[in-house]
Amino acid sequence: MNRIHPKIIEVLTGTFKVPAAEIVPEATMDSLEMDSLAVAELAVIFKETLGVPADSDTLLKDASLAEITAYLDEAAVGVGR
Amino acid sequence: MTGLGVVTPVGADERTFWAGLCAGRSAARHRPELAGMPVDFACAVEGPAPEPGAAPGPDPRPAGGPYDGAPAWAGLDVDAAVGGRSVWRMARFVKLALIAARQAVADAGLDPSAWEAGRVGVVLGVGVGGVAALCDNTLRLRDRGPEAVSPLLVPMMIPNAAAGEVAIALRAQGPSLAPATACASGATAISLARDLLIGGECDIVVAGGTESVLTPLVMAAFARMGALSARTGDPARASRPFAPDRDGFVLGEGAAMVVLEREPDARARGRAPRALLSGVGASTDAYHPTAPEPHGRVAQAAVEAALRQAGWSPYDVGHVNAHGTSTPLNDAMEAALIERVFPHRPPVTAAKGVLGHTLAAAGAIEAVATVLTLERGVVPPIANLDASAVEFDLDCVTKEPRRERVETAISHSFGFGGHNVALVFRKA
Repeated sequence: MNRIHPKIIEVLTGTFKVPAAEIVPEATMDSLEMDSLAVAELAVIFKETLGVPADSDTLLKDASLAEITAYLDEAAVGVGR
Repeated sequence: MTGLGVVTPVGADERTFWAGLCAGRSAARHRPELAGMPVDFACAVEGPAPEPGAAPGPDPRPAGGPYDGAPAWAGLDVDAAVGGRSVWRMARFVKLALIAARQAVADAGLDPSAWEAGRVGVVLGVGVGGVAALCDNTLRLRDRGPEAVSPLLVPMMIPNAAAGEVAIALRAQGPSLAPATACASGATAISLARDLLIGGECDIVVAGGTESVLTPLVMAAFARMGALSARTGDPARASRPFAPDRDGFVLGEGAAMVVLEREPDARARGRAPRALLSGVGASTDAYHPTAPEPHGRVAQAAVEAALRQAGWSPYDVGHVNAHGTSTPLNDAMEAALIERVFPHRPPVTAAKGVLGHTLAAAGAIEAVATVLTLERGVVPPIANLDASAVEFDLDCVTKEPRRERVETAISHSFGFGGHNVALVFRKA
């Protein structure tokens, strides 16, 4: 899967100042230089803006952006139900 | 003192700052984010013009002065100036300090990648800290529960965050401190830096102050205590140090940082100091949480301690950079102190007329201004002051910058809590 959720792109570039060129589906929090505080903040932003709970340790820490996208898509369906 | 850095409401580089200070016009204006507050104006570090190429606003500086030809202040894109990926985790007071610290280190001709990190200290005075993040998260907790609270709240709001981030950015691994003496914090920081150098704990200290609290909560609080000028109809004329009709201070934001080294060390690396910090003195009123001891007798002890450390008599002081907040109580106390200690009437200025009161940054910004006066032989005017109206026996510089060669100067800083600090400088 090659799509990245638009919210991920928006937050990584806007808030965390990650260069857009680095935001590729296989990128991870580590490869994007997102430390544990940054990942925890990202989880709060997902919860606040999408209504999706995303535990920073279990879900975001080691996942690729493609995997996070898949989770957000699936969870958003759940939130909408 | 080998390097200077400033981020102020009239300029975020030394040249523009000095031009704005010498122009003698207040930076105060109405702020949309303060609408509805009892006092809705302040002196902010403006952002850049909203559109590329758009006019940044009229340049208030008349032609012909020593400031003539300096670029107009076009605002500062704070996040762009900080740069890198760490901006998101910094509160605004931290960002302003970091920008000023980098300026000061570059001005000193130092390269942080090459210095012996363990011998470099950071002393960064902060009065309040990240109050905007605290307010925002208080509302999140109330409205949406604990899961909405940012994990960044604590590292963003703690006052020592500025010292910590500056140390990271500069790779400074010696002692670091975040003194909180309210409006004297920046001066306290410079004083402590001197101790670290004399005590041999550091070879280089990056020191100063920062503050950014132009939020509705803080404005409401200062207004409620009666500290702020209520001249809401005419913000640009509200900050008027030593004027008989002064009615309070105008809140400002900013930062200033300086690099201090022992003079022989600086000269050994081929660097002439920009000025010499000849002495420091401090005292505490132990009188009232906010009001100064009316006669300034304890503040005078701080001034006398600084002179003693420098080995000077009061008559050796050629210029006074006053605390001059524009509050009725401070200015009366300080004027009485200056009249008493310096009967030879050295020229007096007060930067808060132009910049507003930048709280913890003020002492550091005014230290930079004092050094520039020594270097350039120019004393900036006090904004909004008519010399004929001055009720005190002071030689206040008004209207125009005054060309006057001064060899020595003192800068006063006084803070809520009763903190008094005096720094004395000699031309290098």
